[in-house]
Amino acid sequence: MTAPRDPPLDAVTTAWRPHSPGGAARSHPAWHDLDDEGKREAYEVTRVLRSIEAALDPEALSTTARAVLRRIRSG
Amino acid sequence: MPDLDALLTPIRSGDSTAFARWMAGAEPTMRDSLRSFAAVVDVEAVLQEALLRTWQIAPRVELDGKANSLLRVGIRIARNLAVSERRRARGVPSDEDAIDRALAGDPDGTTMPVVPDPHLRLAIVECADTLPAQPARALQARIESAGRQDDDALAEQTGMRKNTFLQNFTRARKLVAECLKRRGIDLGLELA
Repeated sequence: MTAPRDPPLDAVTTAWRPHSPGGAARSHPAWHDLDDEGKREAYEVTRVLRSIEAALDPEALSTTARAVLRRIRSG
Repeated sequence: MPDLDALLTPIRSGDSTAFARWMAGAEPTMRDSLRSFAAVVDVEAVLQEALLRTWQIAPRVELDGKANSLLRVGIRIARNLAVSERRRARGVPSDEDAIDRALAGDPDGTTMPVVPDPHLRLAIVECADTLPAQPARALQARIESAGRQDDDALAEQTGMRKNTFLQNFTRARKLVAECLKRRGIDLGLELA
């Protein structure tokens, strides 16, 4: 079911991102470990995942939208 | 054509719930607009910043007579951020050609937000309900955290090693995709 390349690829599909001292979202550390093909695949997998998350959310929000909303509401 | 600018007045007045509804329709379109950058910038980080800046600039956005003004502004912000991030990461001082390429096909009045499909949503919910316990826990942990915690923390919370957590998460998304395919639904194509 899972291939050797899946765990490192799925490590970057999370909406968690480190932040700069100024608060800006930065690249996921594991993203830099992927080759170009892996980065494109991570993008496509994330795109599908966000639609799954939104379908499972009572307000149709993905984890990306939830992460942004949290930053907005925390001022 | 759905026009998310119907939400612009409450968004301008600082209604974050209205902006959440706006994001539900706008996020997939903004993410798609960054596809050409997928190998050179971390699109997730760029997109989160672009959505935040779109919220911040919304009070100054004027309707221009075409639909989805704020979405088109958001897409421009996202593309410009992607170009800036690429420069920053590579230490390239100036690359006007890259900006021109990125802004080619600038969003116009035909830019479309995503309209949720209730049948697709129900199918996803039903497929997620069939997941085995461990993959279901990994998927649920990611959703409940919504980017608040990294996978080290989520693995610890779920009592899994990090690699086991990631393997279970991979299983979850693949099992949901396979379940949908058995129903004749290819999510990648549905979103195209």
